[in-house]
Amino acid sequence: MTELKRSIPVFFGLHARPGMVFGRMLGLLPVAVLLGLYMFVSHSRHVVNPEDKLMPSLHQMYDEMKTIITVPDKRSGKVLFWEDTKASLKRLALGIGIAAVASYFIGIIMGMFPGFRALLGPLVTGLSNVNPLALLVIVLVALGVGESSKVFLIAFGIGVPMMRTIAGMVERMPNELTVKALTLGASQFQVLYKIVAPQMLPRLIDLIRVSLGAAWIFVIAAEAVAATEGLGYRIYLQQRYMNMALIIPYVVYITLLAYASDLALQGVLKLPCFRWYGKSED
Amino acid sequence: MEFIPRPKPPITGNESIHLENAYHGYFDATLGRARTVLNDIDLVVSRGEFVSLVGPSGCGKSTLLKLFTGQEIVQRAKHFEVLGHLPSFPDRTRGVVFQNYGLAPHLTVLRNILLGLEFQASLLQRFSPKWWLQARDMARKYLDDMRLTDASDKYPPELSGGMRQRVAIAQTLITIDLFGMPDLICMDESYGALDASTREDLQIFILKLWEKYKKTIVFVTHNLEEAVFLGTRVVVLSQFWTSDQPADQQEGSRIIMDIPLEPHAMSTEVKQTPEFKALTKYILERGFNPKQRLHVASFNADLRHPNSFSSLTREQCAAAQVDGKT
Repeated sequence: MTELKRSIPVFFGLHARPGMVFGRMLGLLPVAVLLGLYMFVSHSRHVVNPEDKLMPSLHQMYDEMKTIITVPDKRSGKVLFWEDTKASLKRLALGIGIAAVASYFIGIIMGMFPGFRALLGPLVTGLSNVNPLALLVIVLVALGVGESSKVFLIAFGIGVPMMRTIAGMVERMPNELTVKALTLGASQFQVLYKIVAPQMLPRLIDLIRVSLGAAWIFVIAAEAVAATEGLGYRIYLQQRYMNMALIIPYVVYITLLAYASDLALQGVLKLPCFRWYGKSED
Repeated sequence: MEFIPRPKPPITGNESIHLENAYHGYFDATLGRARTVLNDIDLVVSRGEFVSLVGPSGCGKSTLLKLFTGQEIVQRAKHFEVLGHLPSFPDRTRGVVFQNYGLAPHLTVLRNILLGLEFQASLLQRFSPKWWLQARDMARKYLDDMRLTDASDKYPPELSGGMRQRVAIAQTLITIDLFGMPDLICMDESYGALDASTREDLQIFILKLWEKYKKTIVFVTHNLEEAVFLGTRVVVLSQFWTSDQPADQQEGSRIIMDIPLEPHAMSTEVKQTPEFKALTKYILERGFNPKQRLHVASFNADLRHPNSFSSLTREQCAAAQVDGKT
């Protein structure tokens, strides 16, 4: 008996199957190339000028990070790295939390009840077109340079578009579902909290995931303009000293934080109570 | 002056549906004007009737149902009452089973079936574990009847189309068992996605339920055999008709046939008898043929049900009347 075998390409063509190990290696390749390129250029710059600040070596970055993570600040006695992380994450969490709660409730009410849609629709549409970064100065003047202005910027910047999206999603829900619930004896309030709201919950989480990127932009921007701690503040502070050895690891760190929060939200969506979500709905 | 080939039946006030001279339409963007869908519908349904509503695709069967459930408000009618009053927005007095989308995707099959109970349970029932246990038992019985026993913990998106339809049917019917509501059940091609064997099972099932509670059922179907088997009456709504009026007044569908049927037989074997087959064939030939448009004046022969009537005007059948006299 001969073994039937068809040759399958590993890289080229429509039918290629890179496979597990080779696929992963392929994915690492461009990263490794860029990293290598950076190290090479950085090294050659250091050969010419050992004091080069523009492209610090990995070693320099390590030293800078080690200092900021382990050595407490002389004035405050606190470890700046953790203070920065805490401050930024707190602002982010507050802003996203307020945005999520407000957009969930107002969005559902706008989507379900045409009266409220008529009332709030134009305003929300208008506000969602306002560029929050352009608004930053006004917010700072109005709310001061404290926490509230930064939280507001995030909540406003992602909350209003989320509200609009949720209202749209509720509006596009099949009308049959509402009619069916009503014929089964539901009150309008029951339709809201038993039919509509639970269905919007995983969609809200997905929306937060999509909005995370924007939320990080707003928090960094707000901190850059007015703050005394925070990841964004640190980056812009170190910019004065051209301290790339700290800035670059901070950027990587912010990226990792953003990625981790996305993964965490993905994890929430994988909970058994959301099993129905994401399955094909004809 | 009205030309009435078939007079209105006596109205006792106990009708489930009483619709007279109803016109309904939608704005059609391609035409740039309103398009009539229902053209002068006269329909009286007594309580406890099982009406099979059939007709060619696009004839407005679902639109007619939407008028009954209250999803839409009839545009023009001389009289319109459902269960004794002008239909309000959808409520628990009028049940509906849709072809699609009726299910809450975030609830398991069992919870979907219990949905009506959750909505309607009184405060006392809500806090009585015994009541819930009873309700669960009843829901499980429905699951068995609907051949859904193994699917009880699945979510609607995980089910096939046929299974979803069965859940939707159970959702509505279980409320009759527990609350005696709804009094009118509108089924919009509820059996469309079922396989032949399940379909026959559920045909028997709905007949038993109907016999037990004598609720009024309006059953829209594409399957003529099913219509004739289930109904106490087959109503054919069709856009394939003609009259002596100008063409623009001939738009939309009318009830062109209304045939009383034998009280129900519980055996599906009737479907094999020659009479059954002859009737299905007759309806198919007269009601569904776009090439052979019947004249309004000739509907009389097919409006045989004691409740059926039509209020034609002289203009509609001017020529026919002359023919009749000569």
